[in-house]
Amino acid sequence: MLSGFNYAAPRTRGELLDLLAAEGQGAKLLAGGTDLLVNMRSGAVKPRLVIDVKRVEGFSGIEWSAKDGLVMKASTTINDLLRDREVRERFPLLAACAHDLASYQVRNRATVVGNVVNASPCSDMAPALLCLGARARISSKTGTREVPFKEFFTGVKRTVLKADELLELIIVPAEEGGARGSYRKLKRINGHDLGIVGVAMMKKGGLMRIAVSSAAPTPVLVDGLNETSTPEAAVAAVRKAISPISDLRCSKEYREHMVEVFVRRLLEELK
Amino acid sequence: MFEQNESRPELHVGKSERRVEGISKITGDAVYVSDMAFPGMLHAQVKKSPHARARILRIDTSKAEALPGVRAVIIGKEFNYRLGLYVVDKDILAKDEVRHYGEAVAAVAADTLEIASEAVALIEVEYEVLTPVLSHMDALKEGAPLVHPDLGKYDYVPVFSPQAGTNIPNLSKLRKGDVEKGFAESEWIVEREYTNPSVQHVPMETHVAIVEWKNGDNITIWTSAQSPFTVRNLFCYTFKLPLNKVRVVVPHVGGGFGGKAGIHLEPMLACLSRKAGGMPVKLQASREEEFSLLPCRSALTYRIKTGISAEGKIVAQKMTMYWDAGAYADYAVNVTRASGYSAAGPYEIPNAWIDAYTIYTNKPYGTAYRGFGHVEFFWGLERHMDLIANVIGMDRLEFRRKNLLKPGSITITGERISEHSGNPTKCLDAVAKAINFGKLTPQEEARQKMTGRRIGKGIATLHKAPAMPSFTATAAVVKMNSDGSVIVNVGLTEIGQGSATAIAQIAAERLRFPFSKVKVTIEKDTDKEPYDWQTVASKGLILSGNATGLACDDMLAQAYEVAAQVLRANVIDLDHDADRVFIKHSPERGVSFAALSVGYAFPDGNAIGGPLIGVGRYVAQGLTNLDKATGQGLPALDWTFGAHGIIVEVDKDTGEYKIIKIASAFDVGRVINPDIVRGQCIGGMIQGLGTAICEGYIYDEAGHLLNPSFTDNKIPTAKDLPEEIESFAVQTAQVDGPFGARGVGEHPMISVAPALGNAIREAVGAELLHMPIRFEDVWRALTTKEPIDNWITKTPTGSCRSDPATRTNSPDSAAAP
Amino acid sequence: MITVNVTVNGKKYKRDVEPSKTLLRFLREDLGLTGTKEGCGAGECGACTVFMDGHTVNSCMVLAAELEGRSVETIEGEAKEGVLSDIQAAFDRHHAIQCGYCSAGMVLSVRELLKRNPKPSVEQIKEGIEGNFCRCTGYQQIIEAVLDVSGQEGSKGELHYV
Ligand SMILES: Cc1cc2nc3c(=O)[nH]c(=O)nc-3n(C[C@H](O)[C@H](O)[C@H](O)COP(=O)(O)OP(=O)(O)OC[C@H]3O[C@@H](n4cnc5c(N)ncnc54)[C@H](O)[C@@H]3O)c2cc1C
Ligand code: FES
Ligand code: FES
Repeated sequence: MLSGFNYAAPRTRGELLDLLAAEGQGAKLLAGGTDLLVNMRSGAVKPRLVIDVKRVEGFSGIEWSAKDGLVMKASTTINDLLRDREVRERFPLLAACAHDLASYQVRNRATVVGNVVNASPCSDMAPALLCLGARARISSKTGTREVPFKEFFTGVKRTVLKADELLELIIVPAEEGGARGSYRKLKRINGHDLGIVGVAMMKKGGLMRIAVSSAAPTPVLVDGLNETSTPEAAVAAVRKAISPISDLRCSKEYREHMVEVFVRRLLEELK
Repeated sequence: MFEQNESRPELHVGKSERRVEGISKITGDAVYVSDMAFPGMLHAQVKKSPHARARILRIDTSKAEALPGVRAVIIGKEFNYRLGLYVVDKDILAKDEVRHYGEAVAAVAADTLEIASEAVALIEVEYEVLTPVLSHMDALKEGAPLVHPDLGKYDYVPVFSPQAGTNIPNLSKLRKGDVEKGFAESEWIVEREYTNPSVQHVPMETHVAIVEWKNGDNITIWTSAQSPFTVRNLFCYTFKLPLNKVRVVVPHVGGGFGGKAGIHLEPMLACLSRKAGGMPVKLQASREEEFSLLPCRSALTYRIKTGISAEGKIVAQKMTMYWDAGAYADYAVNVTRASGYSAAGPYEIPNAWIDAYTIYTNKPYGTAYRGFGHVEFFWGLERHMDLIANVIGMDRLEFRRKNLLKPGSITITGERISEHSGNPTKCLDAVAKAINFGKLTPQEEARQKMTGRRIGKGIATLHKAPAMPSFTATAAVVKMNSDGSVIVNVGLTEIGQGSATAIAQIAAERLRFPFSKVKVTIEKDTDKEPYDWQTVASKGLILSGNATGLACDDMLAQAYEVAAQVLRANVIDLDHDADRVFIKHSPERGVSFAALSVGYAFPDGNAIGGPLIGVGRYVAQGLTNLDKATGQGLPALDWTFGAHGIIVEVDKDTGEYKIIKIASAFDVGRVINPDIVRGQCIGGMIQGLGTAICEGYIYDEAGHLLNPSFTDNKIPTAKDLPEEIESFAVQTAQVDGPFGARGVGEHPMISVAPALGNAIREAVGAELLHMPIRFEDVWRALTTKEPIDNWITKTPTGSCRSDPATRTNSPDSAAAP
Repeated sequence: MITVNVTVNGKKYKRDVEPSKTLLRFLREDLGLTGTKEGCGAGECGACTVFMDGHTVNSCMVLAAELEGRSVETIEGEAKEGVLSDIQAAFDRHHAIQCGYCSAGMVLSVRELLKRNPKPSVEQIKEGIEGNFCRCTGYQQIIEAVLDVSGQEGSKGELHYV
């Protein structure tokens, strides 16, 4: 059961940043709530103030331009992404990862921003964003900075964000548009489930990137590969980048094995 | 009377009449206990043990009591009431020692849920943590800590055999023939051990109850329960109250599956209500609490040793079952008893030996779950039959057919099977045919080529009889309204299984009335409904169906008797239709049911009859208690036989698999409502798939339950359905069933797992001895990696207890003696 | 307390709510609309599915405080003046109901699915109701009801006799 907090729904970016600055640690931003409310219900998170981002002017929708690339806002939901034609046509990997996240009604609420801020090792959006070289635009009352996603995650459920900071935009560079990509996610059932391991692969113009979820404290990007890398080289690089553990969902050995199988199969698929 | 009328075509039986309560459910009108609220109602919350075993040194409730809005706080020490279905081993709240993770140690009733949970957080409990007994196999060892040191002093129902000074609340034995001699005569001997973990029922409505304890001990309990009379009787036993003081009301129930068969939250809420001055107190378990505050299904280790003749006949079988009851005996002792007499499956075995142990451990306790032990032991048994066939080199279908029970066969308890008992061979043949067992079709060959995944097929048989005492009884009351419509009262609850609709069909058929004229009450109230033993065991249709038929006859007889006087004719010359009773010979001379319904007055003032109310009573026939030393006797009112066939596609590099088709067949005696039978077949089958593919409790070394939620205890979703599903009904009429019908509520869940295991074995050779069959398990079996007993600790406390020696991949310990 | 103006099943409500109250509890406790059920309280099971501003959401994962100016539709708004909706009627015809606890959420997920895809394939139906657990029916008769209401083949599942 939830209890003991206040709720605010600022209408402007300025109001929101003021609230964040004033409340600091005691505040939590609410996007879709599909992580936050689960964590509050279990008692893992106990904010004094919940600040809803969804009423803020200009915080919703999804934009594409050849200049700025694809821009997702703080309230952009996973289903917004999946309903967007530009995304489906230009960023098939984003769509593939989004499609594998949770159930339809959860995707109606869950946001892309919330997913990455939650920073679960099994995040489904992180692998796509890592492969696509996406950046996080982070704002606070004192200013704005941009961090590439490969530097964004710092540990299990930890990111570079500070208590008074807002992840305002997620930007996927325009040049990544048209990249081929695919995602493999191992689950315990066919229905919606958190990933046991997930492997995303992207190929464009000689480049190849692989990102892996649920196989390290954070989702990881495997750099330094290209389209001519052999399967063995790809597997070796991935092995080096990950550090899976055994938990109640699966053993370390099986995770290692499945990551390798997925890498090989993705290479086949995107040949 | 009407019996003399020539037989007429059936109007309702065999037709898919709509569910009588369908509209209220589909519109949200149906009221469940979780939806109920009363003026002044208080909300309860529970303080639960974070330890598997610990001594309670001190509980301080003063801060909780001081919180404004708190109306009552209770702890175990306040009460001297003991609870138990068969072995009276449970306190309302833990007293000196907690025996499992999640056990209740204190409870609060407050004005709001928020206050109640705040108060619970303020309760301080000091524990001395003790070493828990987690593995049921360790609990049997000399010197193992005793979960219940006082077992020898507990009251128990005498059909059970608690072993004082041990962790064994029941040991059931069966001896038929001479197994050792049988083994000596056998050509082959195959022995192995099969295991499965505890699982959760997962009714979508968690346990919930509201209790008020008014002055003069007038108590009302609204509860989401399967068996209102059992709740009442056990409640009164515990509190030493007369049965007419306690009223139990059960409205719509959001699923039960056995988990709501006994008594659970009610006594605790009663104590809170009494302490809070008689205000109604409500508690609904959270989903997490459903996993550990409330009971689960027991884990099982099942060792089977089988001797087979050169011709492929089973000569002897020695079976040892180790049932993990968890902290309290609840239904687990009876699961042990019931599986102890059916553990051999629908096979004829001349020499049989069974020891079935119920074992206490420091884990959430086991209770009844759809199949009552059969889902668990058929996993091992039907894997074992495949193993034997493979070892002796016989076709798996042929081997089973050869050994199945047939008319004239004697079961292991000494019961003679007749041609009315049902036909397991027909069920097995139907599913084998439906999946083209024994070969791949050209399409399947092509699919295999295209996908690179291997296709395999598996079959498995099943049987089950209701597990119930010899005096199992029920009654029905059929009342006619003044417009000629009728109301049927039975104590059987509607928990989703569809019996209310089937009972309505039986009543409408027997009365030869339109279906719309019959109403079966949904809300059960022990003060108003006639007695029914319990809504369990797939016995509802037979017992309540028969009682309903008799009640209809009784009511019609009353109507005929009055009509005979009104029409000045003999009863034997009367007949009726939906509206009136008339003289066969001159149908224009009749009297309407409406005119007869509440008594008939002649113009001269003479009046006869009265409200038409028929009563039907039915008690199970021919059941005897089993001999304690040999297990011989008559335990079964009826046997429902069945079989499943599965086609699976397996990726041999990853262990991932997909079910292409499942075919299921059951000998239901007579189909009363095809859509409802099919709903049971498919719903039960999917629940069986859950058990087979993903469900199971996982503990750490200290006995903490690690997956008490849907995040890590997945259940099948729509996407987990096989690509194709076929359901078959065999109709070998049950002589004493209504219209020949017998029960099929539990059976579809049984033997899904071994059919899957057998199919996977055929597809890729993975020999699986533990369920659930996770993808990783298949991969491990294929790569001959040591199977993991538990992903966390490697200690045998988790979801996968088994002896590694019995789980190797090499051909089995099969040898000629 | 936070004051919200919200439209539920076409009716306007103005209510004060605790910030911690979920939409699910608001509907059930404050408005007495108990047709929407709780199966987990954690977004997993879909028993609490309702429409909010035209899309399905898990109402256990929405705060009532978020409702200002929004419109919500629940199972109570599905039948009109005693007449079952087409989806409800199909569920009733196909025995797509057993205990009924998942039914409200299931019907609304089907409504959402048919809105975006009037003739869904079996695969698409399964995906559309993947977020709604049903422990009783095994889903098959629900899928058949959806095929029926969308006017497609394959809706007549049969029990075979041998
Ligand atoms: C049943 C269920 C199934 C799920 N399945 C999956 C799955 O398969 N794969 C997967 O990856 N995830 C899954 N999730 C997790 C969750 O749905 C996703 O992570 C989702 O994208 C989170 O987004 P949200 O908008 O709901 O985040 P919220 O819960 O609103 O927020 C998440 C965190 O981010 C913070 N936050 C939100 N917005 C901002 C912002 N603009 N700036 C800074 N901080 C912010 C919040 O304070 C909170 O700490 C599942 C969840 C549920 C309940
Ligand atoms: S109750 Fe909301 S998803 Fe289960
Ligand atoms: S009908 Fe019971 S959960 Fe779906």
